[in-house]
Amino acid sequence: MPVTLPVLLPGRTPLREAGTRTGVAPAEVAETETVLAPQGPWRVVVINDPVNTMSYVVLVFRKVFGFSEALASKHMMEVHERGRSVVWSGLREQAELYAFALQQWHLTAVLESDETH
Amino acid sequence: MKRIEVKLSLPVVAPLLDLMKASSDVLEAQIAAPLTLEDIDADFRDEWKAELLKGQHEELHALMGLFNSDFFVNGVVAFDEENAEVIVRACSALRLRLRRHDLKVLDDEQLESGSVDLEDITVPLQKPYMCYVFLGTIQELVIQHLDSAILRGPASERSTGSDDDEAGDDDERGGFGDKTD
Repeated sequence: MPVTLPVLLPGRTPLREAGTRTGVAPAEVAETETVLAPQGPWRVVVINDPVNTMSYVVLVFRKVFGFSEALASKHMMEVHERGRSVVWSGLREQAELYAFALQQWHLTAVLESDETH
Repeated sequence: MKRIEVKLSLPVVAPLLDLMKASSDVLEAQIAAPLTLEDIDADFRDEWKAELLKGQHEELHALMGLFNSDFFVNGVVAFDEENAEVIVRACSALRLRLRRHDLKVLDDEQLESGSVDLEDITVPLQKPYMCYVFLGTIQELVIQHLDSAILRGPASERSTGSDDDEAGDDDERGGFGDKTD
């Protein structure tokens, strides 16, 4: 199960024009709604590789995400056994930072969004 | 500051250093792990890659720096909380390079299980494989003894410089690779 940090709900700002004060009622009330495009959820997925050892991967997960040893081990085993693990999900900007951090540690990390899957 | 010193067998390790250096040189211009950044803006991707390369260069420089002239006198390399993180990363980078380039004929399963017998592989593969195993051993050793230091980060990067390791000053000396039977 992916670890999801609290994220802001996508902005939704209804803008309504109820009419004017000119005394002339508009024939038709324009109703518009601006919806801010959500930035999330994006998933940070770690892909298995045959090189990095289990203890190394656990260490990286603890270091990058602050996971407990048990949680880091769980994700590591998921990567090992299923070939991938979703280690974080949330806003794209933060997901990019995490993917970058994982790549600094030479893990293979990809970003996925609901749109791509 | 916790520090471990490891005495390596010069006759075993010295022949591996040429290959480590050659692999390290290649990684001056290549990211060790495959990059999958299709969704990233091209300009941002270039910056991203440049930053990764810069970090990788620093790691490899630190690792290769362990094998200086002193090493060839006493065979000792030292790890502490200042270099632990970059050393384990550098080992990972080099192992990835060795796997992708020099050991590509080996199966993933063989490498993951560590079940490769030197006598069962061709001579050209033996040195890269020994190098691969050596780097993995160094990495494991550092993680085993200095993982808490890595998780905290180097003292030089922490805001408070007074929180010494819980165990206090701790100097360990290991005999890893000390001799070959």
